[in-house]
Amino acid sequence: MNQQKTALLTGDIEAVAQNTSRQIKTLDQRSFIRANISTALKLLIAAPLLAVTTQLLRWLFGFAAGAWLPWEAWIFLTCVIPAVWLCGEAAMRQFQVTRHRALRAADEQIGSSDRIVTADEFLRRTSRDGFMQAAVEDAVDWAAGGRDTVLDRGPAEFSVSRSSLWPVPVAITALVLAGLLTQLERATVADSPAGHTVTPVSDSTSVEQTPTPKKQLLTTNDQQPPPKQIDSSPDQHSQRAVNRQGAANAAIPDNAEESQGKVNEGETRESRQSANPSSAKGSPSASGQPSRPGDQTKTTPKKKQQVTPKNDRKKKPRKQNDKPSGATAGQGSSKGSDNNAAPSDWASTSQAATPDDKDIEDEDSVDDEEEEQESRGGVQPNMRDRRTPVNRDLQIGFGTDRPNPDANGRGGPGGQKKSRGVASLVLGVPIPDRVNGQPNKGRIRITQQRITPEAEQSDQGPAQNRSPRDGIVGPIHHPDFSPWLQDLVKRYFLDRRARFPLRTSATQSAPATNSVNTPQTINATESDAPQS
Amino acid sequence: MSDTLTVDNPEMAREAAAEFRSVHASIRAEVARMIVGQDATVDGVLAALFAAGHVLLEGVPGLGKTLLVSSIGEAIDLTFSRIQFTPDMMPADIRGTNVLTEDEAGGTKLEFQAGPLVANLVLADEINRATPRTQAALLESMQEKQISVGNRTIKLEEPFCVMATQNPVEQEGTYPLPEAQLDRFLFKLVVGYPAENDYRTILRRTTSNSEVQLNAVSDAATILRMRQVVRAVPVPEHVETEAIQLVMATQPGNKYTPSMINEVVSLGASPRGVQSLILAGKVRALLEGRFAVAGEDLRAVAPDVLRHRILVNFQGMSDGITADDVIQEVLK
Repeated sequence: MNQQKTALLTGDIEAVAQNTSRQIKTLDQRSFIRANISTALKLLIAAPLLAVTTQLLRWLFGFAAGAWLPWEAWIFLTCVIPAVWLCGEAAMRQFQVTRHRALRAADEQIGSSDRIVTADEFLRRTSRDGFMQAAVEDAVDWAAGGRDTVLDRGPAEFSVSRSSLWPVPVAITALVLAGLLTQLERATVADSPAGHTVTPVSDSTSVEQTPTPKKQLLTTNDQQPPPKQIDSSPDQHSQRAVNRQGAANAAIPDNAEESQGKVNEGETRESRQSANPSSAKGSPSASGQPSRPGDQTKTTPKKKQQVTPKNDRKKKPRKQNDKPSGATAGQGSSKGSDNNAAPSDWASTSQAATPDDKDIEDEDSVDDEEEEQESRGGVQPNMRDRRTPVNRDLQIGFGTDRPNPDANGRGGPGGQKKSRGVASLVLGVPIPDRVNGQPNKGRIRITQQRITPEAEQSDQGPAQNRSPRDGIVGPIHHPDFSPWLQDLVKRYFLDRRARFPLRTSATQSAPATNSVNTPQTINATESDAPQS
Repeated sequence: MSDTLTVDNPEMAREAAAEFRSVHASIRAEVARMIVGQDATVDGVLAALFAAGHVLLEGVPGLGKTLLVSSIGEAIDLTFSRIQFTPDMMPADIRGTNVLTEDEAGGTKLEFQAGPLVANLVLADEINRATPRTQAALLESMQEKQISVGNRTIKLEEPFCVMATQNPVEQEGTYPLPEAQLDRFLFKLVVGYPAENDYRTILRRTTSNSEVQLNAVSDAATILRMRQVVRAVPVPEHVETEAIQLVMATQPGNKYTPSMINEVVSLGASPRGVQSLILAGKVRALLEGRFAVAGEDLRAVAPDVLRHRILVNFQGMSDGITADDVIQEVLK
């Protein structure tokens, strides 16, 4: 393969890599969007939640704080925020496509069995053998044909699972809630000229002192020609009640303003409307009954109960003592109807129907329980019978012959008792047949004795005089030679005997001729043996 | 073994590859005269022969496993021996032993009598019917290509290839092969039942008077040369990486291992698995007309190469997961 063909192939591979990497980058972005579309859907609820939160805050502050964005703006934000996030994330992410990945994708697309990516790798090597060159040449046609490769784009449409669609209804619900709060604001604005419900804590003059909100309120009032205060009679009732309460608020002394303000801040408009009949409910009973000293304290603690419940509890026993009622003596709860000498139907039905009375009943029952606990001197009910538990030991006797003071007869006879009587003869009675002991040899005790070391008495003599040990040294292993080793040893000594026949006879006859040289000869003979 | 093959230019590479395909096709055609169907099994056995590996054929009796191996032996003109494994077979029965013989002088001498293992092509029939002791006697011959008897070591003649058959281990009277021996097989081929048309051909060939005589279309020297051609095929780096990661993915606790394999596999493939994967991939690349191993070659041979190297634990077996399922999970 000459240089020109190699350059042509390199150019083709480069073109394939660029073309494919561009497509892969697009596919990666699409797959990113497809993978994160559920996350983007979650962002659908961002704007509606912000709208609801804003409206709630504005409602808490009397719709006086901040300005409300138009309805269309919230819808626009709801739709735009997820799209902007998704596109921004896809644009900001660096989708790196390596050359190897691009070439491999092209190989897979055109079915060249890694020929292009293999040729690209072999072309980068400095030395190539015949097979590598053949592989490079084999990829020429494939690379030329793969320049305009179009990768499969996969599914065109974005499929979103149903489970990930939950933000859509949530967003719609939140937007609707925000819209309801807006309607509430408008209704509040419609109520504002008649009374003080917009900012009950502050004076009506404070509304007048802020001209801009007032103008807004008036314009919203004009925009809604059929307001509720004109048509519906319940609204008229509520309006009257609000007016009455406004008058009552005006009549509240300055020292009671703080508690009144707390009540109005924590309650909604409707709750205040429902509270008014309950306050008016006491007036018939008061009119039908001669006034007593406890009547004033009967109604006022119920209102103060929310503010200072502890003080109310302390006052309660005295209140019960003031009005002895035979019908409620057992239950400990007192109702105004028992004291009412002139029964009236509307009063009894309204008392039974209003939820405030249920609250009163519940509160009374709770108070009774607390009083019951307090009457025991603070001792908890469960702590009353706290004593040492009954001894569940199976022995009837306690110690030797003394009866067990804690035994209540529920334990039954013990093992000793069972083994003695008739029960021991019955096979069904379990008799312990094991002996307590230890599975091992038990605890090892090491005792140390104080003994003064003493020197052993022994004969001191020269070491040469010591005799060899003649005691039992145990079995000495004499392995048998294997046949080939026996043969080797046998041949060695036969050969040696054949080579040195005279020397052995000389050593035997040596003592007769020269007794001085005999040991040397023997030593030489012995020393020769290992050397050979 | 002869001298190492050097391929300096692409023309030589093309010629070598063409010769390889020619030899393979001739042997394949000759064996096909005797064996009906079982194309994948025949290709696998021949691939193992060219890759210098051993083959384990698993299948129920009567599928022609023994006939296949003996047919290959006849078609290549190799020395062929068959060992029928039985539970009472001893290692000396397959390796050979020293026997006392008379010499010319009238004395006696110990002389080594080679066992059936000393051959080019060894058919270990029903290998899982032998005890593990006898099975282990094959280890040295399969890995080192030599056998040791007493103080004598005998180098086995190349090409040496053990082609073992075994019945499924669920059958009675079988001993599962130890993992160390299973790892020495390049392939484990599962032999299936023939197709309907193949049954007709089998009936015509075996129930009539016609006899098929196979001719030797190749020899040991050619096989050795083709083995060198196989080893000369280059492996790109990305294919090496893929093979390594493929094998590592079968090992529990590895970073490439899917979670399913961590739960159901107790023993993954060894480094021998990577070697086998690459060698088998080289054979397939040559047969496919390519001069380098591709990723698809690895994926094609992975089930046969890795099947017997993966040990599924009790949980996996209770869930009905096989080694093939594990391999398919790895290949995803």
